[in-house]
This record gives sequence, C-alpha cells and structure tokens, in this order.
Amino acid sequence: MVSPERKLKTTSGFHRNYIQKSYQEAHRAKAEKRPVAWVASTFPVETLQAMDIVPIWPENYASVCAARRISVELCERAEREGFSRDLCSYSRCVLGSVFGYEKELPEGGLPKPDFLVATTCACDTHLKWFQVASRACKAPLFLLDVPYNISGGDSAHLDREHIEFYASQLEELFAFLETQTGKKFDMDKLRETLAVSDWTSRLWTEIQDYRKAVPCPMDARDAFSAIFFMLCIPGSQLAVDFYTQLRDEVRERARSGIGVVEDERVRLVWDNLPLWYDLKIFEYLNSLSAVVVAEVFSHTWTGSLDPAKPLESLARKYLPNMANSSIRRRIDIVVDLVKGFHANGVVLPLNWGCRMMSIGESIVRDVVYKKLGVQSLIIDVDSSDWRVAGEAQVRERLATFLETLER
Amino acid sequence: MEALRPFRDALSNRHELAKEWKSKGHPLIGWTCTYTPEEVICAAGALPIMVWGDLGDTRLADAYMPSNSCSFARSCFNAALKGDYDYLDAFVESNSCDNRGKTYDIWVNYSKVPNIYFINTPHSNTEKAHEFFYGEVVKFKKWLENTFKQPITDDSLNDAIAVYNENRALLHRVYNLKMKKPPLITGVEFLEVALSGLVMPKNEHNRLLANFLGEIESRSDLPRQGVRFLVTGSVMDNTELVKLMESVGGSVVADDWCTGSRYFWNPVSLDGEPSRAIARRYLNKVPSSFMFQHEARFRHIMRLAKQFDVEAAIMFVIKYCDTHMFDAPLLRDELKAMELPVLYLEWEHSMSGFAGLKTRIEAFIEMVGGVK
Repeated sequence: MVSPERKLKTTSGFHRNYIQKSYQEAHRAKAEKRPVAWVASTFPVETLQAMDIVPIWPENYASVCAARRISVELCERAEREGFSRDLCSYSRCVLGSVFGYEKELPEGGLPKPDFLVATTCACDTHLKWFQVASRACKAPLFLLDVPYNISGGDSAHLDREHIEFYASQLEELFAFLETQTGKKFDMDKLRETLAVSDWTSRLWTEIQDYRKAVPCPMDARDAFSAIFFMLCIPGSQLAVDFYTQLRDEVRERARSGIGVVEDERVRLVWDNLPLWYDLKIFEYLNSLSAVVVAEVFSHTWTGSLDPAKPLESLARKYLPNMANSSIRRRIDIVVDLVKGFHANGVVLPLNWGCRMMSIGESIVRDVVYKKLGVQSLIIDVDSSDWRVAGEAQVRERLATFLETLER
Repeated sequence: MEALRPFRDALSNRHELAKEWKSKGHPLIGWTCTYTPEEVICAAGALPIMVWGDLGDTRLADAYMPSNSCSFARSCFNAALKGDYDYLDAFVESNSCDNRGKTYDIWVNYSKVPNIYFINTPHSNTEKAHEFFYGEVVKFKKWLENTFKQPITDDSLNDAIAVYNENRALLHRVYNLKMKKPPLITGVEFLEVALSGLVMPKNEHNRLLANFLGEIESRSDLPRQGVRFLVTGSVMDNTELVKLMESVGGSVVADDWCTGSRYFWNPVSLDGEPSRAIARRYLNKVPSSFMFQHEARFRHIMRLAKQFDVEAAIMFVIKYCDTHMFDAPLLRDELKAMELPVLYLEWEHSMSGFAGLKTRIEAFIEMVGGVK
C-alpha cells in the first residue's frame, strides 16, 4: 500500500490547482470576449496558443465528468437525442452537456466556443463529433485532414507527401484563425511558442525516464493527471514551470530509491486510457505490489519542435501519433517501454466506443509475447462509461493477471 | 423475369466466377471501400472484386477482432479466414474509416492474401486534398504495374474510364425504373443487379444491363406497389433486409448505400490526364459519412426522397460504424422535417438479433401504410 509520504507533492491537489483553474480562466476569457476554441486532441494546439486563443479540450472535460461520476448521466442525455450508446463515451458525455443537463455541470460546463478545430489525426470520431458540436453551438469548424501514417514510422521516418499535405493545410488554418480573430497571424510568435512546447516535451520525457528506476518513483495516477499540460497547453510557461518542479521531485526520488510502493514486485506498462471514473485502480494495483511504470499515452504526445521549421516540425510531432499509425508504431512503442522500463506485464484496456484503441490490441499482445516473452492482458472497458464493465470485475481480472505474472 | 436471372446467378456463383477469371490469367484484387479507384485496377487487366462476408457468426474473426469493431469488417475478415478469398492476388484497404485503417493491420498479420495495399484517402475535397489523392492514385498505379508486370497507359486508363462510366449510366437508368408507380423493378431486384456488378468484369455487366434494359419495358410480371421506402446507411452487401421489407408491404425505391446509388451516381469527367480525372471523381462524388462534406450526402438523400416520391425511411446503420452513427440523428431530423416517418436501426452484419430487427421493421411498415 502507498503511505502518504510516498505520494508526490508536486501533483497533490492537481485538479483543484490546475484543472479547475484552467476552466475558470476559460470562462473568464469568454466573459471578456477573448477568443475561445474547442480543440480535439492531436490538433497542433501551439498554433492557437501563438494567437492567444484559449484552447478548450472537450476530451479533458469528459474525463473530469467521469471522475465526478456524472459522465454516464450525460452520455444518456446524448443517447436520448439519438446518439448511439456504442459511440465514443467522451463525445456522448460532452454532447450531453451541450444538449442541456438539468443539474449543475462540473466547472460550470464548457464555455461555448467561438469556433472549433478538429483533425482526423486521432480518429474520425473527432471529425464527426465536432461536426455535431459545431451545429449545436452554431460555431464554425476547421478540419485538418491528416494522412494516415501507414508505414508506422516515427517522426524521423514519415512520408514526404504526408508532411507536405499536412504543412500546406496549416497555412489554410492560419487564414481561418485570422478570419475568426480579426488578428494577423504572427510567425515569430509561433516560433516562440514552439520553442516553449519543445522544452515542455523534453521535460516530460525526462520525467518519464526517471520512472525507469527500480523501484519506480512515480505512478500512473500522477502521470494521467500531469500529462494535462503536455496535451492541452504545451506551449505555455506554466507547463514548463510545473514540469521543472515535477522533474526535480521525481529525480530526487529516483536518486534516493524511494518508490511508489515499498515492495515493488510487478512493473506494468499501461496502454490507452485509464478508467477516469476509477483512478483508484492504480492504488489497488499498488496494494498488490504492482506499479504502472509507463503509460503508452505518456510516450506518444511528445515531439521535438524546431522553431526554424515551424510547419514541418508540427507535422513531424503530430502525424506519427500512434492513433494515426499502423499498429507497428504502437508495437514499437510498447516493446521499447517494456524493455526500457524493465516491465514484466502489459495491460491493454480497450475502449468500447473507440476503434483506434480496440482493433489491433490482439496483434500487440501476440508480438510483444513473441519478441519479449512478456504477457499482456486485454480488458473490455470504457474510459468514462462504467456500464461497459464494473469496477469489481476489472479489479478481479487485474488481480488474476498479476497472479499469472508472479507465478 | 428472365433477364434478371444472370445477375442473380453471378451473385450466387461469385467465387466460382472469380476463379474462372483468374484461370484466364487475370489477377484478382479484393477491395471493401467504394473510394477504391477501380478504374486503375481494370486498366491493369485485373479484376476488382468487392469483398463481403456471410450473414452468420464470425467466430474465426472474433479471435482477432474485438466485439466493438465494425461487424461488416469482421464478417469480411471471417470469410478470409475461412478461405473464401484464398484466390485473391491482392487486397486493397484504406483509411476511409477508423475501422478500416486498423483492419489493414489485421489482414497484414493474419490473412493469407499475398499482397496488401493501402490507399490513403483524404476526408476532404479541397484542392490540396485533390492533389494529395492524385498522388495516391499514381502510386497505386505504379504499384499495380510493378506487382503484376502490366504497364498501365493513359489509353488503358481512358478505356477503363469509358467502361466504368457506361456502367454508371446504365445502372442509373435501371435505378430510375423505380420512379414509376408501381416501380418496374423491386428493391431486391435492383440490389441483385447492382451487387453483381461488384464481383464481375464491368464490360460483362454492361452487356447484361443493356440486355435487361431492352426487355424491361415489356415486363409482364410487374412488382406490386407497396409503401414507397427510402433506405440509408453505409454498405449493403446482401438482399436479406430489403427482402424482409418487401415481404411485408414495403417497396424499396431509393437508397443512399455506398453499394447502391452512391456507387454509380457520379461519372469520371473525361478531361485531361486520366489519373487526375479518376482521383477527382472519387473525392467529389456523393460523399460517404466519413467525408467533411457530410451535408452533401444529406442533400443527395433528400433529393432522392422527393424524386422517388417516398413515403417513409429506414436508416440501417451497421454496428460499430461511428461516422454513420454520428450522422444518423442529424439526418433523421432532416427527414422528419420533410414529414417522413423514420425508423433508425442498428444491425449486426452477422444477423444476430435478427428476430428483434424483423419485428421492428414489420411494425413500422404496418404503422406507416399497412400491407397494400
């Protein structure tokens, strides 16, 4: 079990100190008539930050609603409008909040967007969900149409045509943002933002590297909270400051040999999303002497950005996201993590409404076992809709899996 | 009607016909998305064949594909695992939806097909998207040339375009027979006509279509007029659901399936370089729900509803097809605004849950018009 002194100090009160504040700030921006935009993940948000547009992340909001355990009620609200229960729970939850909810919404709900930006980079669901939201909110939508990285290569091994198609659309995006805000796009400001985002990425990667230490100094619960900056506002000084502080703390723990648990016996790699409504599951794993030492999620959002080549480096950062790539990319990441982080098991949680996080996990399981002899557990769950699988059932499966690993 | 028999026969003997074609030295290339530029395959002297699955359980595929993945994709892959498609020389996949993109990996890792090719399909039709897709068509052409050692010239591409455009025009004429009251052919008959064209050489299909059109005006066994229905959705690779509708008083006169009206609605414009013309046609056609221009599909559907004077609509959405599930409530509202009764149905391609589906369809048809 984790004793209080084993918990990280930097991430304590994260929700109150950072997430809540970001929503308050978004509402304030809206009230002050500063431009606010809804953004789908894997969108090159640095472009918005460079224009002082306040980015709002519906996905993050869905995870907040799940943690408050009202996501299912909001999903049901969208289902009543005719949106299938088999759709992405994030999208149902957010649309439910837009369609009108009789109770008070967490963080005062999402501020209405002045416009929306989405990309096919993570999934088609983003495009479709944002189309519906754009209609409901009567706000325009910009789509960044991203080629699928079929070779599965990393940022250094992408098709030239893919980079060119991506970069050429960024120019269209700048024109769209200029129309929406009435402001001229400033390339120098973008370069500055990229430099900050690059630093954020490097700090985040450094933090992850310290988790290779045995025992592991930082748990998945901390990572799934703290990644907020990497995902949502990578090009901000706040991200750099927070990660510097977190890096220092995690480094210190790694050097002093302080682990998340005292008797670390199982080190796990966790794919896809957590169950946002049950983040305590990681503590449950700790109670069984297991620690999640790496999340695939923590290793797919980073990317180096070269201010001298702004458009190309944004393409290179986002295009090879594993959701936008052949399963080879995910396999490469998982194999590297298992080896680099000395893991002895892999958890592959599917996500009921997400094809990208579900199809192909059988290949990951098979290849990882063949290459490294390490076993994986595929579990049918959903990140925010607990009707798919109950907590007790998930815990039981995890416990059984740990027993198999320790045998 | 006798002139319809060859279409039906081709459908039921499709695997045998394919093997026969292969024995004559033509490579067989399977595809599943109607954004696959078939003209290029045809120009290579190969036969493009749409891959379908059976309407039954998918227990072989279930070992590799999760139960929340597209049930059509699972059925197709199940058929491949069963060996139904062992004759394929290649299989072409695309990222035209999330299910497809990831299903590519499943085929690469677990199927026996020797060549698997991936076409990157944009989701928009801006000039930049057209330029990108043109590049993809050229790459595909080169790949076919290298793999099957068959040069593809502008002449052979233009010939293929002509055959395909003729096919589209003929199918359109057959489709319009359903405008009549009563319709000159039933919805099931039309599906048989249309689907058979996806598994046989197009010039052969054109010959059958011309023959059929020559005889249809003198048809003596006219279908009876039921409640005139519009049906919508993604892919329909079988006649079971339409058969059911028409057995309880419906007449399926209009559709927006990708294997139905959306397949033949738009010809390739013959101007300039043929590869470019082909690429343009696919991104500009009546779009599927994965395209950014989804409202163009709604407009197509509403136009059909008026032209074919439909009285009600059923929306068939194949289970776990995200893009259609998102469009469904919006489209439903548009149809309701036209004062059409609408039924939304999700169906498993394996037909599990068919009894419930049947009851709902029967009750709906009875409600909107009764058995005529």
